[in-house]
Order: sequence, then C-alpha cells, then structure tokens
Amino acid sequence: MKKAIHCVATLTVICLVVSVLLAFANYITAPIIRQKQDEAANAALLVVMPEGKDFVLLTEDDLASYTLPATVTKVYREAGGGYVFELTTSGYASGLVLLCGVGADGAVTGATVLSSQETLGAENSYGDRLVGRRAEDIEQVDTVTSATKTTAAYRNAVRDALLAFAVLGGADVDLRSEAEILAESLNTALPSGEGAFEKWFVIEALTGVDDVYVAENGTGYVCVIGDEYVGVKADGTVTSQTDTETAQTAAAAVATVKGAVLTELSLGSYEGLPASVQAAAVTESGSVVLTVRGAGYGILGGSSYHPASGEYIIVRVAISAEGTILDCVTLSQAESENIGDACADEAFYGQFDGKTAQNYAEVDGISGATYTTDGYKKAIGDAFAAFNVLKGGV
Amino acid sequence: MKKDGNLAILLRGLIAENPVFVLILGTCPSLATTTTVIGALSMGLAAMAVLICSNAVISLLRRIIPDTVRIPCYIVIIAGFVTLVQMVMHAYLPALYEMLGVYLALITVNCIILGRAEMFASKNPVGKAILDGIGMGLGFTLALLSMGTVREVLGSGSFAGFAIPFLSEHTVDFFAKAPGGFMVFGIMIAVVNAVSHGKAPKKKSFSCEGCPSLGLCHGESVCAEQAEKEAK
Amino acid sequence: MDTLRSLIIILMSSVLVNNYVLNRFLGICPFLGVSRKLSSATGMGVAVTFVMLVATLVTWPIQYFVLNTLGLGYLQTIVFILVIAALVQFIEILLKRFIPSLHAGLGVYLPLITTNCAVLGVTINNITDGYTFLESVVSSLGCGLGFLLAMVLFSGVRARIDNSDAPPAFRGMPVTLIAASIVSMAFFGFAGIVDALFA
Repeated sequence: MKKAIHCVATLTVICLVVSVLLAFANYITAPIIRQKQDEAANAALLVVMPEGKDFVLLTEDDLASYTLPATVTKVYREAGGGYVFELTTSGYASGLVLLCGVGADGAVTGATVLSSQETLGAENSYGDRLVGRRAEDIEQVDTVTSATKTTAAYRNAVRDALLAFAVLGGADVDLRSEAEILAESLNTALPSGEGAFEKWFVIEALTGVDDVYVAENGTGYVCVIGDEYVGVKADGTVTSQTDTETAQTAAAAVATVKGAVLTELSLGSYEGLPASVQAAAVTESGSVVLTVRGAGYGILGGSSYHPASGEYIIVRVAISAEGTILDCVTLSQAESENIGDACADEAFYGQFDGKTAQNYAEVDGISGATYTTDGYKKAIGDAFAAFNVLKGGV
Repeated sequence: MKKDGNLAILLRGLIAENPVFVLILGTCPSLATTTTVIGALSMGLAAMAVLICSNAVISLLRRIIPDTVRIPCYIVIIAGFVTLVQMVMHAYLPALYEMLGVYLALITVNCIILGRAEMFASKNPVGKAILDGIGMGLGFTLALLSMGTVREVLGSGSFAGFAIPFLSEHTVDFFAKAPGGFMVFGIMIAVVNAVSHGKAPKKKSFSCEGCPSLGLCHGESVCAEQAEKEAK
Repeated sequence: MDTLRSLIIILMSSVLVNNYVLNRFLGICPFLGVSRKLSSATGMGVAVTFVMLVATLVTWPIQYFVLNTLGLGYLQTIVFILVIAALVQFIEILLKRFIPSLHAGLGVYLPLITTNCAVLGVTINNITDGYTFLESVVSSLGCGLGFLLAMVLFSGVRARIDNSDAPPAFRGMPVTLIAASIVSMAFFGFAGIVDALFA
C-alpha cells in the first residue's frame, strides 16, 4: 500500500513539476509567438501596401453597419487611413483569393494573389497593372487575352475592393450589378409585368427612345428614355410619373412597336443574294430584318487545343430603309470558350447599332479572336449586300 | 555496456549502433521529414535536444522513480521536453515549426528516446547518459541528413533549398513522395549492412533490446516471436 | 446530407488516399515489426483501430472542454500521451476481466500501442484539422481501418518476401522496406479517387 502511494505520488509530482515548468516557458514564449504571427500576417499585407503600418483586422462587429460587396472576406485598417481587403472570387476555377490594398486617397496601392486554382498563371503579375487605379478608371485596364476570365474576375474583385473602400468611407454606393439595377427599374416602371421583360428587337426606327422592353405576359412596355424608365400599358396609357413630353415620346414609341409588322420574303424570288442569308423580312416602312450566318472559328479555325465546333455564328440584323443598322443580336454561336464566345455579349454586337454600310467594319474586334471578328463582320457585310438586293427588288 | 569508455559511448550511436540504420528505430520521422535537407536536419536536432535533456533528467531521477511507474514517468518527462522544444521553435523558428507540423509533437513517441531512457539513462550516471544522448542524437541526425540529402537532391533537384544546375530541371518526383521514402530508407540500410558487414551488432538489438515496449511485454509474445525469427 | 457526404469523404480519404502508414508515415514500427503473419497483422490492426477510436472519444472533449477553456493548450502533447497510456492500460484490464477471449486475441498488442505514433498522431491531427467531434470520430475510424488495411495487405506481401532470395545486404529490413515502397506506390493510385467519386 505504502509503495503504491509512493508510486502515485512520484508520478504526480513529476507531472506537476513538468506542468509548472511548461507554464513558465509558455509565459515567456507565448507573446513572442503572437508577435511573430502578427508580423507574418503583416508581411503579406505590406506587399500590397508597402507604406502601411499598424494593420488592424476589423471584426464583424466593426463592419456590422456597412454593406460590403460579397467578395470581401476580410478587412484590415491601416493607421494612415488606408485599407487592405481580402477578396474571394472565382475566375476560371473557384477559390481565387486576392489581397488588395487601397490607400487613403482611394487609389489601389497593390494587389496580389493569395491562393488560386487557375490554370494559366496569368493572374500572378496582373495586380501590378492595377496599381494606382481608382474606382473611376479601373474598368479601363485591359484583361489578359489568354486568361480573360481570370483577369476579369481579378479586376472585378479589385473594383469591389474600391467599392468597399468607398462604403467604409461613408459613401452611399449602389452595390447592385447592372442587370439587377435594370430588372428593378423595369419592375418599378411596370409592376404588372411581374419582372419578366424582354428587350424589343428594333425593327422600326424609334424617335427619342433608347430601348424598349416588352413585358412577357403582354401587359405592356417599358421605354428607356435617358435614365428614365417609362411604363406604358398595352392599351397605351402611361403608368409612370413623368412630364408630358416624355410621356408622349414613350406613347409614340409604343405605338410604333405595336404597329410594326414583319412580312417574310421568299428568298428564292431574288437574284444575287449572298448565300449566307438565311431569312429576310420587311416592315411597312421599309426596314429589312435579315438572319445571316457568319463563318467564324467554328468553321474556319480549329487546332488541337481548341477544336472547331463546325457551327456558324447566326446573326439577326435590322436595317432601316435609310441603310442604318437599327439593331443587331447574336442568335447562336459555338466559338471557342472564353475567347470568341464574347461575340454573344451585347458589349460586342451592340456596337453595330447605328452603323451603316460605310462604317460597320470600324467596330472594335474581339481581342484574341480574329476568326470570330472577321466572320461576324463578313455576316454584317452580307446583310448590307442583301439589303441592297432586296431594296432593288422591292 | 557499463564498462564502455566515454568516447565509445559517444561514437557508438554514430555508426555501429546507429539508431536509424542499424537499430531501425524512429522510422516514422526518418521517412516523413526527410523530403528536404532542412526538414531532416531540424527534426534531427530537435529530437537530439529532447534526447539529451530527457536522458539527463531521467538519469538524475533514476533512483527516485519507482520501477512500476517508470514508463509513465519517462513519457511525462519526454513529452515535457518535446513541448518545450515546440514552444521554442514556434517562437523563434516559426517556418520550421510549420514545416515539421505534427511530427514535432510525435518526437514524444519516438522509439529512440523512450528506448534510450529505458535501456541506458535509467541505468547510468548523468555524464554518460548525456554522452549517450549526444551520440545517439548525432547518429539520428546524421541518418536523417543523409536520407534528406538523397531525397532532396534527386526529388527536388536542390540541396537545402539551393537549386542544383541540371538536376533541378530533371527531378525524379518519386523520391519526394512516400514510396521514395521507403525505397531510399531500404537502400540506405542495405548499404550500411554491406559496409559494416559482420561488424554491425548481430540482429539481437534489432528487435527486443531496442524495443521501448520491452518493459511492458517483458520479451514475451510478439517481440519474442520476432526476435526468434530474426535470430535464424 | 452535406454532413453525411463530408463524413464519407473524410472516411474514404483517410483509409485510401491519406493512408497513415503508406502516405503519412505514422505507425511504421508496428507496420514493419508485426506484419509478418496475417493473424498478428490483423490483431494489431484491430487493436490500433479500437484504441484510436476510444482515444479520440476521450481526447477531443478534453481538448475543447478542458484545455481550451483553461487556456492550457500548450499541455496538449503531454495530456494526450498520458491519456492514451492510461486508456491502453485500462482497456487491457477491462478486457482481461470481462472479455478474456478478446484479451487473448488483442492483449499482446495493447502494450505496444502506447508508443504507436499513429494513435497520438491521429488525436493531434483531429484537433489541428479543426474537425468537429463527429468528424474526428470518423477520421479516427478511417485512419484505423487504413492502418488495418495496410497491415493485412503487407502481411501478404511479406509472406512472399520471406521465401525470396534477396542479396545478402538486402535481407531482412531493406527488402521489406522496398516492398513497402511498392505497396505505397500502389496506394498512390487512389489519389484523386475520392474527389472524383464525390465531386
């Protein structure tokens, strides 16, 4: 019995002595460990803000009263009034984590990639191009051709950092995307449309109106006039509060839209039409609407890396009686992903609006996609050629 | 063993009774931390520090610790020194601390340390225990370093982080991965076998004598069965 | 559903992809020492799995409810190894008294497990990986089963090595390690399989 107590006592004493010694060691090393960890964390922050000092990580409580862009995952405040943001976004793959510093003057001081799954590595030096940019001119930085998606995500994340900086500075920033703003404006202008609108393909010239949206349930229209959204019911009554002149403009536009009737033309009865023309129709005022196919990368290109899809780009173009493009839209395409498929974006085909046979070729091409751009422009050129043939025939 | 001179005690661990290549102890860290020279060296030195300290303390306390609870006592002392080493490395060498990760804590269950406590420190005076710790620690470090050198030079084409011309463009990834670890270890032991042919201790120390669990199983059961087979 | 999925992923990856023995080099000593016969390899594997599970059931609450609340995180290593040592003794006594048949099978392996780095490794890794209690239990089970699998497979390989005629210098441990290298290479084939199955 005595021996057992002796054993237990010895073990206990050894445990206690060791624990006390460790507690002492911990007392000495713990502050150093914390300091080293802070320094290591700061070292990464200093990369994006070389002049910064005394970074403080803001807690959720600190940020509770601000609405920051969803990409912002961490915020550090710097003694000089600048901020460093950690941003999580997705480029080609998900999980692109960036660190972006914004100085007290609102300009980007640096941006770097913390972790990424991207394939090309083009993102690694992209941050250098963004240094010194502000919220106003960040969009002007070009993306990298071979890594459009990655660098665009990068740039948008940095733009979010600039927005977050503005929010933290007390500015009232609209964080909604353009599509969200549009949807909400349309819904406010014509609530009976229940949020489902389609942009009207312009086949008759409209005066004073930028765009017309048609409610898919047939209850009415919304005319975009400058930055105003004017709702017009199917029976022609204007629903939005606006001045008389604008209301009249909108009502007139809606009358034009409702009165526009397309008459299909039989292609066989015209000689000399380009082979690429798929369908044609005319309105009473003499506008011509053509469906044309263009041979882009899908037909003419192809490599082992980007095999050709074998499909044409199908474009719908409306040309007014005077020979000006009223509207243009890409109906279908199968160009190479992340490069030529930009021809399906309104940012590209919207450029043709208002162009004539003389100047349509001047629109900006899609960077890195020569085949697609040339094929597309050829299709528009064919449309003008067809327009002349049809005009002669009518 | 007690009649050995101090120098013999010190040198024994280096080659003749090298804990890794001859006694086949501490295999886990020998395989896990030897992908780089730096990792191997720091693991070797960390284990050596723990070994020297624990050997010294256990030797000092050898008359106080009751026989029945000696293994738990040794474990507490060793774990205490391991934690100390962890703290110091975390504070002053954070990069190495991150690199070694859980293997640093696992020095606690490194067979070499508990084995030397049981086999040597608990039966010898402090001075000899410390010398034994230094010798065995150096042997362990040397073994890890040689494994680390082979694996880093061939697997990453560099030595201690410095790229070697030509080799850095022709790396053999195999050596940096787990299978390469086993392979290099096997070949290293074979080389030591071949070089010290006949001089290395007969395989008796291969199993039971070096086994830290000897005190628990008293050479019965598994160990006995193994020792018997090794002897043949 | 997501929880179940993540648990299955943890289980599968700890058995196959991040196999403790063949990929993370934990528990090598018993892997090399006790894998000579299928019966002892199985016994050791089962005993390790069992101790890993019980150890995790005990150490996880200790870490989160005792060490962390008292700010004694630095005592982790010392507490865990003591808990494991005590548990192993305790399990042995219990088995001996209440289930002698099981004790006859596993008893001899239990004392060897105290110093098995895979057991201490799995308990510490569960904490550093930030697993929840349930995830920790599943990960321990997976690691234990992975250990058992490696032991059983390797005992089959060793049966053949013993009958082979290796060069003198390679006899014994070296050729065993080279066989282990090849088995480990085979396990590399599992890399990515879990992601592919549950992506």
